[in-house]
Amino acid sequence: MAENETRKPILKLENINKRFGGVVTAKDIKFDLFPGEIKGLIGPNGAGKTTLMNIISGIYTADSGTIIFDGMDITNVPDYRRARMGIGRTFQSPRFLQRSSIRDNLLIGADLGNRIGFLEGFFGKKSTNFEQELKDMMDLLHFGFNWDDEISSLPFGQRKLLEIVRSLLSHPKVILVDEPAAGLNPKEINYLMDILRMAARKMNIGVLLIEHSMDMIMDICDSIYVISFGVPIGEGTPEQIANNHAVIEAYLGKEDE
Amino acid sequence: MAEKKLELKNKRFTGPFTLIISVVVFYLVVKIMCRSLYSQMVVNMALVFCLVAYSVSVMLGMCGELSFAGVAFMGIGAFTIANLTTGRFGFKISPLGAFLVVIPVATFIAFIIGLILLRLKGTFFSFSTIALVQVAYTFFNNYRPLFGGVDGISGIPSVRILGKQLTNHYLWFPYLLVFVVFVGLVVEHIRNTQLGRSMASCRDNETAARVLGVNVYMTKVIAFTISGVLSAMGGALYSMLIRYASADMFTYDTSAKYLIMAMFGGVQSTIGAFIGALIVQILPQVLKVFQRYFQLIWGVSIILLMVFMPEGLTGIFRMALKRRKSRKKGRISVIQEKGEE
Repeated sequence: MAENETRKPILKLENINKRFGGVVTAKDIKFDLFPGEIKGLIGPNGAGKTTLMNIISGIYTADSGTIIFDGMDITNVPDYRRARMGIGRTFQSPRFLQRSSIRDNLLIGADLGNRIGFLEGFFGKKSTNFEQELKDMMDLLHFGFNWDDEISSLPFGQRKLLEIVRSLLSHPKVILVDEPAAGLNPKEINYLMDILRMAARKMNIGVLLIEHSMDMIMDICDSIYVISFGVPIGEGTPEQIANNHAVIEAYLGKEDE
Repeated sequence: MAEKKLELKNKRFTGPFTLIISVVVFYLVVKIMCRSLYSQMVVNMALVFCLVAYSVSVMLGMCGELSFAGVAFMGIGAFTIANLTTGRFGFKISPLGAFLVVIPVATFIAFIIGLILLRLKGTFFSFSTIALVQVAYTFFNNYRPLFGGVDGISGIPSVRILGKQLTNHYLWFPYLLVFVVFVGLVVEHIRNTQLGRSMASCRDNETAARVLGVNVYMTKVIAFTISGVLSAMGGALYSMLIRYASADMFTYDTSAKYLIMAMFGGVQSTIGAFIGALIVQILPQVLKVFQRYFQLIWGVSIILLMVFMPEGLTGIFRMALKRRKSRKKGRISVIQEKGEE
């Protein structure tokens, strides 16, 4: 086992199915995500990409199929425990504690990273290198903030980037990133790609990325998984996907004869 | 975009020096102002009720769940004291010893009740706590063996601390003040640690809380337990102060008062609960001249309070600070966005 340790998937989906009434949002989804890999999850609007992320992070439960994380079957593990095991998550519109300071918002990520109980937290145990980690990440993102300001004082783009920072501070093994580039300016998109690359290459995190910006997907992803109306229609490297007929058809429609 | 330096310093901490100074000033002011035993009693009561206001602050301010259960736990605290100190079980403990018993008893009961009630969410949970208060009241009022029925339980002995018998309200005051400030510090510490942040995440965004590894249900149960213990301590001290415990001290009607105390001062802050408790308790005494119109003034001012300062007095203070800060920097203050969901 030791020699192929590097190629052991950190996250493995096996035949995931999910339907809401008559609407199929996931049909026989299966893929592997490896540590340090950035995998793009793309598809037209309403394809079931976010639903799939919700299934992986445990907000929804799959109707059938298995999710293997780090060698363990987590299909029936509650969401918060999955987060503690190391599945990080960001949202299309960032979800922060609106009434708390930036500090508290980031520390809650670090709390998860510490993996200690409330009592130890009460008596002052904390992570030693939290500040250093945060500084390293903020260097990549090229913006600073006032620690005590409320989170709502930041512009939308910075909040989105900060949500990724919060998730990375929790030392996940897999991070699910839902449309991070939406609402960001071109400069911020570059910073975003830097931090995602850092997460994958330096922290060896498996990144699952939903994104509509094809430039970014093609640029950053090691592999791409395409779904349309819940059905997988293609998988492969960015080059393969760019030339995949089924994918082109799903996005642009069928070519007339 | 101007690049701002990352500031990691904790500026919220005001330092022990400021705290000690303000406690001493408060002590002296009360000492000078309270010329009669009665006015000292009013202040002492305010300090006791402050513990209950803390419990509202924990449950509503930190965890975002409105609970009326405070009075029920006050009753549990008070009757535990009454039963243990008057020898109704065949043995007697000193009031302070009984006070130490109150804490585990209240923890246990609050935890069990929290496990049950917090299966409900939001408004339904709030309603269930009202029911809890009514059930508790019915027990207190009717079950003689434990609660003395309508007569209540009298004859709680006076407290003895450091060889001194606390026979009047002047003697009580310094001990109460120190205790309430100490509990306040503990509550404030909770707010700034992992538990407080977990509670805040349950309050502001449950989905975010869950993907950040927070067990929402258990966190709320723990918050409910903490707030139950705080209320029980308040109730226990209440009965020790007036040396009597009876059901009509813990009715649903009175629960509104504790809620208003916390809301008035600002439910998001610990010091707010303290200030709110003092104001709500003392103001009626100051405004005795307008006694006939008092309820009217009171009602209208609460409506105005909720409309114009939903974050209470400390909220206004904080907003003023922020406005000053942003004016200093010469930047337009950001319009606060409504929380998502």
